Amino acid sequence: MEEKYMLAKWINNELTTEEMNDFKKSQDYSIYKNIKEYSAQLKTKEFDEDDLLNKIKLRKNDSTKVIQIAQNWFFRIVALILISLGVFMFYQENNSVVEFVEKGHKSTFVLPDNSEITLNSDSELKYKDKNWENNRILHLTGEAYFKVAKGKKFEVNTNLGKVTVLGTQFNVKARNNRFDVVCFEGKVKVNYNDKTIILKQSDKVSFENNDLIIQKKTAETMPSWLENEIVFDQEQLKNILEEIERQYNISIKCDLESTNQLFTGEIPNNNIEVALQIIATTFQLKTKKVSNFQYELKKMDEI
Amino acid sequence: MHFTLPVFIYFLMENKNNICEERFFTAFFKSNVKSLRNYLLYKFGNEEQAEDITQEAFVKLWQNCKDIPIEKAKSYLYTVANNASLNVISHQKVILEYSKNNKLDDRNNENPEHILEQKQFKEKLLKAINTINETQRIAFLMHRIDGKKYSEIAEELNISVKAVEKRIHLALIEIKKEITNFK
Repeated sequence: MEEKYMLAKWINNELTTEEMNDFKKSQDYSIYKNIKEYSAQLKTKEFDEDDLLNKIKLRKNDSTKVIQIAQNWFFRIVALILISLGVFMFYQENNSVVEFVEKGHKSTFVLPDNSEITLNSDSELKYKDKNWENNRILHLTGEAYFKVAKGKKFEVNTNLGKVTVLGTQFNVKARNNRFDVVCFEGKVKVNYNDKTIILKQSDKVSFENNDLIIQKKTAETMPSWLENEIVFDQEQLKNILEEIERQYNISIKCDLESTNQLFTGEIPNNNIEVALQIIATTFQLKTKKVSNFQYELKKMDEI
Repeated sequence: MHFTLPVFIYFLMENKNNICEERFFTAFFKSNVKSLRNYLLYKFGNEEQAEDITQEAFVKLWQNCKDIPIEKAKSYLYTVANNASLNVISHQKVILEYSKNNKLDDRNNENPEHILEQKQFKEKLLKAINTINETQRIAFLMHRIDGKKYSEIAEELNISVKAVEKRIHLALIEIKKEITNFK
């Protein structure tokens, strides 16, 4: 058994002269000798002991609880809840349905509860398919007409305000800073900033830049844009041109940057020449067709 | 006032056996830090990890200094370090270097062939050290680099001297085998 650890004895210089002479005769001796010699020259890289000592001294008064807090059952549970919530929200977020309509188009589709929605040009609607019946919340960018089936609370969120209903037909338009809601049947509740307004049949409200600008009755029975008309009520030129751009999928260049004049009236959404002519006349502008997709409006006196 | 003396004696005794006092701690640190750091370095091959765990072990020791008598401090240190390293799985190559200006090198300076041979052997030796079993490497390097006695290695690794001898014996056989294979 002694033989077994002979090499350990040898490298520790514990061999007797006799043992040593025997070992020297073996054929592996030279290689072991080299291992012994060269391994004695080995060293590790230097490191800064004082720096380490200082770090340790600084940490002496760390509360030992820094580590223990993470092990505390309460924090474990909180962490677990937060993680599950994150996973849940991620799942929910990934579960939403998005309907999008390009410029120059309209689209009608049906929600899981048979509510009907028509999206106007360049509008997007996002909602969660799952558990829809109990959770009728959707997010709208742009303009849409809703024919809501009777049921639980139905909520339309936009960047500007919120509309809540029970079962009704209504139109929501949220573009730039202007927020219009028209109720065609039933009752809807409109939240804008901290204002809350209840609309009954044929009521219309418009907000612009944080102010209520219109609140009145309307004779319309369905949104004008569904009947190929674009109706404006005290609308700014900028918003009108943008609406025309959306409906006809064209681009309009206009010299007149800002004007206080507001427009109330109807223009067709299937005849661009007529539509532009009406607007041009009202604002004393002249139209010029650049191409099928480009128009220019210039001030009268400049030509 | 008659209880002042016993309190004083108690106070002295309290401090005699622990390393809460900064100068004791610093002395203890100085005499053990390199050896602990090297041990961890042989284990993981990563200097940063070795130094982090060294720091961790000393911090724990100091935070719990009241409960640890000085004669137990060393084994406490290695126990904490070993526990902390349970989480470190990956082993990287141990970074070692040869000290320069060695007599052995000078002796054969005139023979370039021999110098090349030496260089090759040194490289093979490093490779071989990295290839062998971790426990054998640790014991071998503690002896060769830190120049520790077998009894010291046994104490730090918490094994018997016979076991240390066995590890070093096997390490030598393995290293020789590896070097011969490289040829």
